[in-house]
Amino acid sequence: MTTTMTLEEFSTLVDVHGSNIENWPSALRKDSKTFLESSDRARALISEQRRLEQQLDQITVPEFAGLQARILNQQLPPRNDPLLDKLLDWLIPAGGFTIQLWRPAMVACLPLVFGIVLGNYYSFGVGLQSSEVEYWEDELAMLSLSDYSESIF
Amino acid sequence: MTDEELMLAVCDGDQSAYQIIVKQQLKSISHYAYRMLGNQKDTEDITQETFLKLWINAGKWQPEKSKLSTWLHRITHNLCIDYLRKHSKMQTQENIENEVDAALIEKEGADRDDATQQQTTQLEQAIGRLPENQRSALMLCYYSGFSNKEAAAIMNMSVKALESSIARAKRSLRTELSESDNAQ
Repeated sequence: MTTTMTLEEFSTLVDVHGSNIENWPSALRKDSKTFLESSDRARALISEQRRLEQQLDQITVPEFAGLQARILNQQLPPRNDPLLDKLLDWLIPAGGFTIQLWRPAMVACLPLVFGIVLGNYYSFGVGLQSSEVEYWEDELAMLSLSDYSESIF
Repeated sequence: MTDEELMLAVCDGDQSAYQIIVKQQLKSISHYAYRMLGNQKDTEDITQETFLKLWINAGKWQPEKSKLSTWLHRITHNLCIDYLRKHSKMQTQENIENEVDAALIEKEGADRDDATQQQTTQLEQAIGRLPENQRSALMLCYYSGFSNKEAAAIMNMSVKALESSIARAKRSLRTELSESDNAQ
């Protein structure tokens, strides 16, 4: 069996994934095993890596006596999320896709709704002039006085 | 209870759920912090701050994006990086060397022969001298058991950059080991 793998590639794989080829990504295992069987240098690299791992395993961490009690007994502050965070959390919630969409859409519609409501109640000086109002009143009076009997028959 | 259920309870202010999470995650978080800082006192402070941040920011965890342990390690990682940047490199390295010696002598001194102990101490010092991104990558993947993808997410870098950091870290350590062999 032949492999296209180089020693440099094999060395990088050893560094990244460790000395046990069984723990390497499955796509690389077959080629790596073939290369390992054919190369003395590859076997030496595995051996060096194994030694490093044994040394790393010797390193211990001290006991943190009392740390758990210290954390569990500490006074927990009241959660007081900033207003901006609350607003952002509401606007873009962590939930599903639909809930993430309808809130921004609703917020985007708010200026439109606000504009319609405002336009309904305030004229901003662009409304009907008094003369026009009178004109319409005159028109209605004239219509009521007209005799349409001939046009009907 | 799942992590998601526990965190929902924490969001509602349930302190017993918070205590369960602390008990589940304490060892992993404190060990990672110690391996990054090499300093027992600051490790305890950083660990405590990590869980305080968990309590305050519980609502920000997004279970669909990361596991709880990944999110917590990211908090710890950021706190450790802040610590390392605030303190001078010399001081941190000195802490690692001093505390490593003390911890080793205290815990295992009697069980090991001098040569092995010396080599382990040298290796720990060499780890302390690694750049912080190489050290984090090695600690997260080798000791904390995260996949390369998870470790990259914790460190906020690409998987390729993480793998490059691990490879460089291990090469440095192997060089240190062979130099130590030659010296003996």
